[in-house]
Amino acid sequence: MKTRNKWILSALIAILVLAIAGCGSDNANNASSASNTGSSAAETNAPETVVKFASDATYAPMEYMDKDTIKGFDIDFIAAVMEEAGMKYEVVNTGWDTMLQSVQQGTEYQAGLSAVSITDERKQTYDFSIPYFESTNMIMVKEGSDIKSALDLKDKTVAVQTATTADELMSKIMGVGNTKLKRFDSNAVAMMELDNGGADAVVADIAIVREYIKNNPKMKLVGIKDTPNFGSEYYGILFPKGSELKAKLDPAIQKVIENGKYEEIYKKWFGEAPDLTNLKNAK
Amino acid sequence: MDFNFDIIWGYLPLFLRGTLYTIGFSIASIILGSILGLGIGFGRMLKSPLWRWPFDVYVNIFRGTPLYVQILIVHFGLVPFLYGSTNALISGVVALSLNSAAYAAEIFRAGIQSVDSGQREAALSLGMTRRQSMRFVVLPQAIKRMVPAFGNEFIVLVKDSSLLALVAAPEIMYWGNTMKGQYMRIWEPYLTAAVIYFILTYSLNKLLAYIERRM
Repeated sequence: MKTRNKWILSALIAILVLAIAGCGSDNANNASSASNTGSSAAETNAPETVVKFASDATYAPMEYMDKDTIKGFDIDFIAAVMEEAGMKYEVVNTGWDTMLQSVQQGTEYQAGLSAVSITDERKQTYDFSIPYFESTNMIMVKEGSDIKSALDLKDKTVAVQTATTADELMSKIMGVGNTKLKRFDSNAVAMMELDNGGADAVVADIAIVREYIKNNPKMKLVGIKDTPNFGSEYYGILFPKGSELKAKLDPAIQKVIENGKYEEIYKKWFGEAPDLTNLKNAK
Repeated sequence: MDFNFDIIWGYLPLFLRGTLYTIGFSIASIILGSILGLGIGFGRMLKSPLWRWPFDVYVNIFRGTPLYVQILIVHFGLVPFLYGSTNALISGVVALSLNSAAYAAEIFRAGIQSVDSGQREAALSLGMTRRQSMRFVVLPQAIKRMVPAFGNEFIVLVKDSSLLALVAAPEIMYWGNTMKGQYMRIWEPYLTAAVIYFILTYSLNKLLAYIERRM
């Protein structure tokens, strides 16, 4: 009986130790990922505040998790911007909902960085930085599909990711309540639906569609651009209403776009130079 | 916290439609799940371990894995395999029924086994066959004991059906997510969904209490 109790006790202690060790290494990882994203200057003792960005890192190549580190175009871009602004920062993967709510409150996270398109509806609840990225939506279909433009999608089954501008555009074309418009939690699931025959097309950001086609050559997918129906849209950094951070970051963003740093990062992630004419004129 | 009722009014018709889907998914799944569960429950009571084995495995798998994962496997694996393509309505009913069957099986088994074995022995000694003793003596007593557990399972099922939003089944949570997407606000859609689920489960509770009193 006694030895049995001993066993149970040591097992309990072992579990406790593992749990604590788990928490510890978790913190260490967070710290290392923070310094990876560029805030290594945080070692100095000055009580300067660290700007915390919330992000939904499920949107490769804009932002995604590579094991426990956050990577992507947005992450490299913000590194350049914060260097320009001379501020310390940290980007944390929080998921979409947490990002929305915590940025609205503005206490724990002062900004959201997650390839968020600037729209009038969103401006009612948030402030946005100046546009930093031009994007458009793209239709992805299987080879041999008769879909040629957005208007062909009207009576087809279309899969999108909820809460994206693709969702919004297709809601306008097909009607919000149309059950042939299927909204999924992530683009990955929407694309699985297309692969399994549950949808005729997926509509998503051009960078996402290109990345997916590139990564799944066996699936024989085609991307269709439709500039007349899917106009340009612009990503902005998300701020709470009345944030003072916007005034500090906007000039830095402008600088990064103009001094060639932006082009360098863009080439790294998309393999081609960006056309900045629209972006510079966008408001 | 500013709460914008206007956007809720705009989405109310869709939420109501979603509520009908939620009710439909729940009723279809509790019926199919109970039928399937009855068979599995009896299977679990077989004497020979060899015959009992597949039923044990079924219950263990479906109780031992999250419904979240089961829905994805059914939607992207089972349904395309059987039906040719994905279909959220079929996946929804199939996934919920298969899951519910595992719990229903245990409710049936527990209910039947809770009836004292003396009852069955007495019936047999009166000259009833095994079938008769089950039908006229054991089952009537067992069913009365199963009602609360079944009510519980039904309520859990109503709430669990919210996970079907994952595969774009147009139920309550799906429209909540859609609303969240359009306005990028989370309190309005989530609280509206919570209120609707509460109304559903609360009325169900009342109904079950009534049935229990009448039995």
